[in-house]
Amino acid sequence: MRILHAFRTGLCAVVLALAATFVLASPVWAHHSFTMFDMTKHITLNGTVTSFEWTNPHAYIEIDAPDEKGATKHWSIELGSPSILMQSGWKFSSIKAGDKVTLIINPLKSGQNGGFLSQATLPDGKVLFNGPRQEAPPAPTQK
Amino acid sequence: MNLKIYTATLLAFAPAILNAQSAAPPPDLTGVWGIYRGGPGSDPKFRPPAPSPLVLKPEYDKPYQERRAAESAAAQRGEQLANTGAQCIPYGVPTMMAVAIYPVEIIQTPKQVTIISEAFSEVRRVYLDRPQAKLEDVAPGYYGRSVGHWEGDTLVVDTIGIKPKVSGYRGMPHSPQMHVTDRLGLLSPEILHDQITIEDPVVLEKPVTYTVAYKRMPADYEMVEFVCDNNREYVDENGIVRLKLHDK
Repeated sequence: MRILHAFRTGLCAVVLALAATFVLASPVWAHHSFTMFDMTKHITLNGTVTSFEWTNPHAYIEIDAPDEKGATKHWSIELGSPSILMQSGWKFSSIKAGDKVTLIINPLKSGQNGGFLSQATLPDGKVLFNGPRQEAPPAPTQK
Repeated sequence: MNLKIYTATLLAFAPAILNAQSAAPPPDLTGVWGIYRGGPGSDPKFRPPAPSPLVLKPEYDKPYQERRAAESAAAQRGEQLANTGAQCIPYGVPTMMAVAIYPVEIIQTPKQVTIISEAFSEVRRVYLDRPQAKLEDVAPGYYGRSVGHWEGDTLVVDTIGIKPKVSGYRGMPHSPQMHVTDRLGLLSPEILHDQITIEDPVVLEKPVTYTVAYKRMPADYEMVEFVCDNNREYVDENGIVRLKLHDK
């Protein structure tokens, strides 16, 4: 089932903050901006994974999910890179083809069946995010 | 023993002996360093200081500002103009020192410091035991040629030979004469700063300086490989970055 959201949760704020940080913060540079995705919109996909590509510059989840009329549609969902994902608990084996998962995504502005992952609920109920949610409180040791 | 010979010998070697005693070994920068932004509650002295203004010569500033305006206008329309990111090619010097939240690994030996960025697995080799070459003898590339020396506890790295195609700081253009100086120093055992100064007598009105701050990653952190073998971004006929979608 596909549910359209336009909500402002803490998660949404974090994703936007991360996106803004990656794009705007000097002097740190990002691979690309998130311009092609609508970061204010969220879509929930309940579906079956057809492949999980643990690749650079981005990982992808390919997924079949029913639309609101019950017809199966295929979606390509972009994630961060393996490096970024590992910093938020992902492994190359976190999901595999055939797994039933729930993805919340920011859809492409073009309206095509693609998006940027916001969060994934794995078959065992574990929730993983698309990168670290926030920087851990720094506790540097002084000389 | 002849006192005169003894005294002369002692005097002859005195500078070397004194030097050896005063020359403490340099700090060891070896380790994996994550980008440090300094969050709420962090110590202000560990945060990177603000960068100096980027001032281009007028003939370079005009097209640079036009490009920035076009990027901004495209973003307003929800579009991303073509850039090197979409081509998935490495960043080179100095941009590779800070890409998103990818860490860098530093391996320090007495004769060479090697810096590896996790993003794109980029490598800088900094030679400590030889002088810099003449610019005309360095093949232009993404990393150019880097030599370094210690000034007290600061590792000063001198880099030349970055080709103009390599994306510059804040997307600035640069000439083959761009000269990059990194000054790497520990602020504490856990915090490292790299103060980067870019000089370019052709493009820049004055040098620009910015600082990247790092925090030491846990000792058991293992660097992740990065080979760009699944780039799904492409540039369409209008110069806009799009995403290739699969149908199964």
